Amino acid sequence: MALRRSKLGSSILSYAILGAWGLFCLLPILYFLTIAFRPRNEIITPHPIYWPTLTIETWAKIWEDWPIVRYFINSSEAIAGSVFICLLLGIPAAYSLARYSYRFREDIGFYILSTKMMAPAVVAIPLFFLFKNLHLLDTVWALMLVYAAMNLSIVTWIIRSYMLDIPHEIEDAARTDGASDLRILWSIITPMCLPGIITAGVIAAIFAMNEYLLTLIIATREAYPLSVALANFSGGSDGIIYNAIALVGFLAFIPVLILVILIQDHLSRGLTMGAVKG
Amino acid sequence: MADVLTQQATGWAAAAKTPVRRRSPFMRAAFPYFLVAPAVLYLLGITLYPGLFAIWRSFYNGRFKLEWAGIDNYTHLFTDPDFWASLWNTALLGSITLGLEFVVAMTLAALVYRDPLVRAWRILFLLPMLFMPSAVSFIWKLLFNDGRVVADLLMRAGLLSDNIDWMSNIVLARLMLVTVDLWEWTPFLFIIFVAALQGQDKEIEEAARLDGASWTSIFFNISLPLMQPIIVVALILRGIDIVNMFAPVHIITQGTPGGATETMSYFVYRTSFRQFDFGYASAASVVLLILITVTAQLLVKKHFRSGRE
Repeated sequence: MALRRSKLGSSILSYAILGAWGLFCLLPILYFLTIAFRPRNEIITPHPIYWPTLTIETWAKIWEDWPIVRYFINSSEAIAGSVFICLLLGIPAAYSLARYSYRFREDIGFYILSTKMMAPAVVAIPLFFLFKNLHLLDTVWALMLVYAAMNLSIVTWIIRSYMLDIPHEIEDAARTDGASDLRILWSIITPMCLPGIITAGVIAAIFAMNEYLLTLIIATREAYPLSVALANFSGGSDGIIYNAIALVGFLAFIPVLILVILIQDHLSRGLTMGAVKG
Repeated sequence: MADVLTQQATGWAAAAKTPVRRRSPFMRAAFPYFLVAPAVLYLLGITLYPGLFAIWRSFYNGRFKLEWAGIDNYTHLFTDPDFWASLWNTALLGSITLGLEFVVAMTLAALVYRDPLVRAWRILFLLPMLFMPSAVSFIWKLLFNDGRVVADLLMRAGLLSDNIDWMSNIVLARLMLVTVDLWEWTPFLFIIFVAALQGQDKEIEEAARLDGASWTSIFFNISLPLMQPIIVVALILRGIDIVNMFAPVHIITQGTPGGATETMSYFVYRTSFRQFDFGYASAASVVLLILITVTAQLLVKKHFRSGRE
């Protein structure tokens, strides 16, 4: 009896903790969501308004003042291009690391991984001058190249982890049938580790969407993607225009949410580059 | 019909006769290098070049016309209290944030992983991580400063008597950054820990359970030690990101009050892209680069393994 009561007590406590953290996660998001629908005079007030009047009248002005669609296209182009580069370079590299034994393989694998530790602040100045000299500053191309470099290490390692799970017998059978190594990679291995490739692509896309410091330095106007565009939503006497920020914040949030729900069972494996299976 | 069959059979025989490994021994030995080379060259281009450029640039001063400065930038850097403060702030903010995130994420994961609603909890707790860091910074800039929501809620709860300016006080300003990071990135550790706990062998737990061990004792004596390698990997990955903390500093505090929230990343950004002292900022980049490379050698090589496992 005592046991049952303490068990009930501990499960109430456990749900109380989970519920409290759930509210802590959710309430700022809900508040921010209402910001997108608020008239401007109900956002920055001496005392916060918790039950605002909701309107989408401000959206027309936001649409007029900023090329939101342009920002969205910039983000999409830079992200899609960077994911493509990552997969193009990462899949063969992952195959090489997963399936062949050769000298320096460990060192090469470690080198690729170690670029994950490269601090954006360290490369910011050199990349600024590199793109300046190449006349690529403020272009989507520069963002694409930077995002690809930033994500190539994780993409390679995630895909490598999924390739290690594929039994060797399948390749050996194809090889005795006379298939070349490249053909095996393209027709057998790539389709078989598709979940890994999709996971790697989604995670790379999210990280590219999130990137802030290097984006801030490269994109100065024309190439603004969403992450940096929203930091510039302010106008003279209006101060920071939070409803535009909230609107764009959710515009970026929704596709990310959908992608993450699609890969949710692979997310932890992807984020740890294969260290956790499950 | 028979003809066709014979023809096909001869075709197969011919195919079987061609040697399976047609390529020269050199090609065979070089092939894996060809596969990995494009990725390595790309990464070398975008990491080695910046490293060398930063080293070269750190020996020069000036914005447009470069003047040889020798090690002036470095001597200046090592006597600059702002630089040391940024290192200290990064270490302090980083360790507090990482510690808190670890404790919260592990607690939530331990409570949730055997719950039938685990998938729903997971999505709920994941939500903050799905916003762009710049958007998250603005959410909290509004909640703390411009919208005064946090202070208002604390006043309503009776914990605070008067409105406070979060930027006026070193502790409060740092607390803001910790809160922002905790809110957004605890989910990162949480989902990794949940997956690790779910992936563990249930039989060991059941056996211990039958022996009369309590859930807490099973968790601390069996589950936690078993997942130690994953904990280390997760903390390294989170640690890398925390050390590079930039967006909330740039958007919310900009280093105030008095540089108490200036991280290393923000120091480099401020000296270069605000004050245009590129030589000086490059020297700081080089020091950062050395710190990071040493840490990477110590940590990553030990805890990640490449090749067949």
